[in-house]
Amino acid sequence: MSTGKDKLMTVPEAVSKFVRDGDMLTFSGFTIWRRPMAVVYEIVRQQKKDLHLVEVNSGTHGEVLIGAGCVKIWESSFMGHELYGKIGANLSRKVSNDEILVEDYSHVHMVYRLAAGAMGVPFLPTYCALGTDILNPEYDVLGRAGFRDGSNPRIPAQKFGYQEDKFYGGQKVLNVPAASPNVCIAHVQQVGDEGTVKVKGQRYTDSEAMKAADKLVVVAEEIVPEEVIRQEPNDNLIPHYLVDAIVEQPWGAHPTGCFGCYEVDGEFIRDFYSKTKTQEGFDAWAEEWITKVSDFNEYLNKLGFNHLDNLRVNTAMNYSLRVKRGAK
Amino acid sequence: MLQWKENYEIAKPEDYKTIDLLAVAGAREVSDMEVVFAGTGLPMLAVTMAQHTGAPGASIIYEAGSMDGRPAHLPASVGDARCEHKASVASGLFDVFNQLQKGSMDMAFLGGAEIDRYGNVNTTAIGDYLNPTMRLAGSGGNSDINSLCPRTVFIMVQEKRRFKENVDYITSPGWRVKDWPSGKWVSRQKAYGSMYRGGPSAVITNMAVFRFDENGIMYLDTFHPGADIEKVKENVGFDLNTAWCRGETAPPTYHELYLLYNVIDPEGIFIA
Repeated sequence: MSTGKDKLMTVPEAVSKFVRDGDMLTFSGFTIWRRPMAVVYEIVRQQKKDLHLVEVNSGTHGEVLIGAGCVKIWESSFMGHELYGKIGANLSRKVSNDEILVEDYSHVHMVYRLAAGAMGVPFLPTYCALGTDILNPEYDVLGRAGFRDGSNPRIPAQKFGYQEDKFYGGQKVLNVPAASPNVCIAHVQQVGDEGTVKVKGQRYTDSEAMKAADKLVVVAEEIVPEEVIRQEPNDNLIPHYLVDAIVEQPWGAHPTGCFGCYEVDGEFIRDFYSKTKTQEGFDAWAEEWITKVSDFNEYLNKLGFNHLDNLRVNTAMNYSLRVKRGAK
Repeated sequence: MLQWKENYEIAKPEDYKTIDLLAVAGAREVSDMEVVFAGTGLPMLAVTMAQHTGAPGASIIYEAGSMDGRPAHLPASVGDARCEHKASVASGLFDVFNQLQKGSMDMAFLGGAEIDRYGNVNTTAIGDYLNPTMRLAGSGGNSDINSLCPRTVFIMVQEKRRFKENVDYITSPGWRVKDWPSGKWVSRQKAYGSMYRGGPSAVITNMAVFRFDENGIMYLDTFHPGADIEKVKENVGFDLNTAWCRGETAPPTYHELYLLYNVIDPEGIFIA
């Protein structure tokens, strides 16, 4: 087991050490909340290819990776930017152009797939989405593309399975296959200097995603002494020995929000969404905000203090009381 | 609109917008003490309105993981920090969806891009699924919630191309569904067996409120002020039963408008 010192690294170091072409990745957060954007931008900068995203839902981070051509397979249930963009325009375009493979599941299916991965069991049963086209065998996209032949051990031989409940009454139940990504990349509020992870606010599917993956990269708003984070162990989510990389990057989830730290940057995401409606628009955006800035701190400098300060939360409420959210 | 506080008269058509009517019509679907699963946007307005009017004891569950939050400011999405203000519990998806599967939720509000007469809803793709003309957001929790909630209410835009004989992809199950892996059309009761709990109960659009008969077929319940039966039929792509139409949808009261604009969404996040 490594000590905290070995785990401590920068965003570029974490990406070059832990993300390889073709890897299966998953993330912390929910749609436009607590996504590891600093790492996502760096993955684009390092031009990683053929990534296989397996996530409960996606959002702005997924659209950045897909727009930049880093993603070959996307297995999930949802793509959008909530109020600031109702669909993923990069995903939508690339699906229509056959530039990406999409495997659709439901929210529960994806939660259970990662939970099964986290539990070390091959599948979990559920009754959700019976009767829908999600289960239509004609729409098994990875099967159609020949990816269920066992050559990739992380892709299950079947999209779904069925079984009779032999314990209580024989009702048919649906089984969803476990998902065990190579790497989970998480953004959280606090991590101890040996790796103990604290998540404040709603945990979304953080626990399942972080525990399902073989490697866990944790980016935090701040690194604190391990002895301090251990004072209230009930508040902690992930033990240090499951963490492989510790990165300190304040504002590292921007433009997505981070409970207790900063608001979703709706204006920035709405502008991003409008640019993603064409590949040229996305490419110009990516050049301006990713490839032409050397690192995430330069990106923050480009946004500027006033812009970021407006997103900073009121710590009594855990959200901003100043940011303009609606028409009034 | 402060002067409208506690004015319980029916608002005149020039004093409200369609979205106001939708929020109020949605709120009226909620009974007191119910546990309600709600998504971003109009569902948030509808359930919060219900808590301020007929259902003060209703609990709102947001799928990102908050249970019975009492936000001081309207959340802009279900993952919003505002959702968990004064919540009973804030955890995550595994927890709230397990509760759904176990049977702890009473009703839910959902949305969709296309719907058929049985209440099958598409939120995934327009055109051939394998070669779509337009990829949409996808299922999210829509299919899960619609599978196992005893009652679901859809809030949608009324257009002929959205109310279709057959939706392009069944994301969310209605009253007559395909039994996989065979693909045979069966009743929802048959597909869900002992897990059957109910299904879609109402569809609220910008023109009307629809409900489902004992065979799970959609019928017109009421049309909104300004619409009529013919106008509704023109915007439905299948043969619609209008024989049981009860007339006009009840408009909002002035007090409900006061609540909407001054208490629930004063920042104009969803209504402006």
